[in-house]
Amino acid sequence: MALTLTCPICGERNGYEFRYGGEDKGPRPRAEDPAPGHWCEYVHMSPCVAGIRKEWWYHKDGCGVWFTTERDTTTSLEVKQPEKTR
Amino acid sequence: MFGTYKPLWGKKPRFKSSYDAVIIGGGLHGLATAYFLARDFGMTDVAVIEKRFIGFGGAGRNTAIVRANQRTQENVPFYRKALDLWPVLTRELDFNLMFYNCGNLNLVHSEAAINAARMNIATAQFCGVESHLIDARQCKEMMPALNISEDITYPIFGAMYHPPGGIVRHDAVVWALAKGAAARGVHIHQQTAATGIGVENGKIISVDTEHGKINTPRVLLSAGGYTAALAYRLLRIQLPISVLTIQAMVTQPLKPLLNHVISSGAYHVYANQTLKGEIATGAHMDPWPNYTTQTTAHYIKHQAEALAELLPCLRGVKFMRHWAGLADMTPDMAPIMDGNDHVDGFYLDCGWGYFGFKSCTAVGKYMARFMASEKCPPILKPFNLRRFEQHRLMGETAAVVNYSANN
Repeated sequence: MALTLTCPICGERNGYEFRYGGEDKGPRPRAEDPAPGHWCEYVHMSPCVAGIRKEWWYHKDGCGVWFTTERDTTTSLEVKQPEKTR
Repeated sequence: MFGTYKPLWGKKPRFKSSYDAVIIGGGLHGLATAYFLARDFGMTDVAVIEKRFIGFGGAGRNTAIVRANQRTQENVPFYRKALDLWPVLTRELDFNLMFYNCGNLNLVHSEAAINAARMNIATAQFCGVESHLIDARQCKEMMPALNISEDITYPIFGAMYHPPGGIVRHDAVVWALAKGAAARGVHIHQQTAATGIGVENGKIISVDTEHGKINTPRVLLSAGGYTAALAYRLLRIQLPISVLTIQAMVTQPLKPLLNHVISSGAYHVYANQTLKGEIATGAHMDPWPNYTTQTTAHYIKHQAEALAELLPCLRGVKFMRHWAGLADMTPDMAPIMDGNDHVDGFYLDCGWGYFGFKSCTAVGKYMARFMASEKCPPILKPFNLRRFEQHRLMGETAAVVNYSANN
């Protein structure tokens, strides 16, 4: 089944309307913390989770909003969050 | 035909509680490394453990293209070694790997792409690899089925012609390497998933599997698209990898018409004709990480449109099969081969993206040398994991890739 994502503004839309924006890794390291290992981890490294993870997505062919959502990488489907407000 | 089933690589081996080396992943890289460990270094007390069956992953899902026309001077010689090994292995393993040395044509569709091809060709020539630039008319002479007219979306300006490349029967390579390794005493354990790696005082001591613990001083993690997830799960090592699904398909068999592998960056398509006559074609990846091997109708349409423009004689031909596999992509499109870095006795071979098939022979040869001597062979040094921390990414891609996590 193809990917469908829930845009917070437009609702459920075809996955090809969106651009993947990377895993949600939390806040960017502070500029005064230049430890290369720390920075490399933030920029490049990933645990490559086979399962549910939180990601950034951009509704490029739609309203242009950036949002985070949870997706299961083993099924490539969005994990429905009932508490999510439209 | 009705006899009892017996794998080509002999009887199911006894599961021992200790080995000199354990290789996680019974794909081409794992099997090739096991083969070369036995062949070149007399290390025959080796276990290859595979969660499913050998050749389940990328080994049987790629489109069998081999070539050495990459972009950087670190990568080209490596892939050249891999190319040189096909005829050697065919003879040595006594198995017809069906290396069809038809050459590759990388079509270029703009002046800018011609310049990029010139740089690639200069690198190839510097490394002693044959590659040259040809114009559209020469393309047409070499491959009459090609459409070089100007009324298509991306008219053909010329091509980078790389005669040493071609195609190899991928399943035959799996079987031949398994047979060659097993004949030298390597144990291949299928349906044996790795569930843990034991480390003591910074050294590898064991591998836990579904069927019990194996004591071993060295482990190679070489599980294709699953390597990054396993590295994190088993050792908490994070890798700069995004795992994407890549799709390919074949048409119904046709009379010979494609006498070279063709590829086009602008159309985002490559195609070759298998020895059975099918046109094998692929390239698409949905640009978000996932572990599925699902195919999409979206892509069939794209592929049909691209092929119908480049090779109009294929209009109306039916696609017969469509499948997908995993590609573990690094930010610089170059692989990671490393060892004894985070943990002594731990070797890593991953990040091949869609280059895993064409590199497998050289990976086997040099990773085996690395594991047997515990010294990194010079040809592998540039592929270490630390390059990401040191900002020494390789130039295999000219632009930052858009599926990587942070750009």
